Amino acid sequence: MALRELASLEKYLGLKKPNKFSTQGDKKVPVMQNNNAPPLVGLVTIACHLVKEAKRPELLGDSAEGRAVVQQWLEYRVTKLDSHAKEDIKSILKDLNLYLQDKVYLAGNQLTLSDVLMYYGMHSIILDLTVQEKEQCVNVTRWFDHIQHQPGVRHHLPPVVVLRNRLYTSRHH
Amino acid sequence: MELFVSEGNPHCLKVLAALEVTGVQCGVQFISHEEKVVPFLSRPALPALLLPSGKHLFSSNTICRYLFELNGQESSNQCNQWLEWEATVLQPVLLRALHIAVLQGKGSEVSSVLQGSLNVLDQSLCKANMTYLTGEAVSVADVVLWGALHPVLSDSSLTLGDHKSAKAWFDRVAAMRGCQSAAQKVLQGKGLEAMKGYMQKQPAPQSNQGRDTQPCNSN
Repeated sequence: MALRELASLEKYLGLKKPNKFSTQGDKKVPVMQNNNAPPLVGLVTIACHLVKEAKRPELLGDSAEGRAVVQQWLEYRVTKLDSHAKEDIKSILKDLNLYLQDKVYLAGNQLTLSDVLMYYGMHSIILDLTVQEKEQCVNVTRWFDHIQHQPGVRHHLPPVVVLRNRLYTSRHH
Repeated sequence: MELFVSEGNPHCLKVLAALEVTGVQCGVQFISHEEKVVPFLSRPALPALLLPSGKHLFSSNTICRYLFELNGQESSNQCNQWLEWEATVLQPVLLRALHIAVLQGKGSEVSSVLQGSLNVLDQSLCKANMTYLTGEAVSVADVVLWGALHPVLSDSSLTLGDHKSAKAWFDRVAAMRGCQSAAQKVLQGKGLEAMKGYMQKQPAPQSNQGRDTQPCNSN
């Protein structure tokens, strides 16, 4: 899974020469062969390296603070999101929904690597939601839909239908 | 900028050490484990750093990385790799080890749980033959890994086997005044006992993670 993500990221970044990837261990941690240096291990480590290779530093944030917020969500992706237990999904969606209520992107005012990797990591979760569940985390699905429509981001993943009009009225009425 | 930490929380050890080692100016508040600082997170998450813009950072490695960057030390590929390994591989193992040592009082079983991770660290240090994890100078990777391992490596009641390179590296980092003072603030000289309150609030480690190294628990 991580390898397909990295291949999609390479295409999104417009990297002409694909890198050599493999995986290690039971958890299939991605490994990238790195010409004259030791191989790089780990999804976030490799993704950040690819962004630098493509000379797109703005994708890692445009200030020290912006870079920190990008890293925060990258770390969230590989710690909280990738190792979540089934019963955690609700609280993850609830937290993200609150965070995204006044935001277009996860960090700052433009697309960053954190949006791309969180989108890849969230895809299977969003795909499994019912229409009603999607409406309960409308800020997450709005963000998700926005990212999947960014040119060149989606690649290996099928689009997820997100309705923009409510089918269900609020349960509290 | 304001840093929120709690006593007995091993993640707070890392950020306080990073703060002292970098010398970044920042207010520090000790609060209880249960206090909510980050408005959008439903569970309490400490340490947390309130940034000048009003945003929050809510995990220790990201906070440490930011403090080092403010100090002019950007994280290299190698640093990033150690931080990612610490968060995704070492932390689940440590959580299990601390659960056994602090809550179940079975210090003798900790060694087998940690063996694999300590081997990785030891072999990497041995092979690279460097003073610190990423070179001849202290980096954010050293402070983060030292903070993560401090509770288990500094407790003499736990026997952890022979890892000469890892032990020498650990003692070098631990000798820095910033690390000593952070350890004193978070653990108050009480060692593992200081973490009891914190560990009781953590979810029990998933049992399937322990199967390969803890045959006695898998029945």
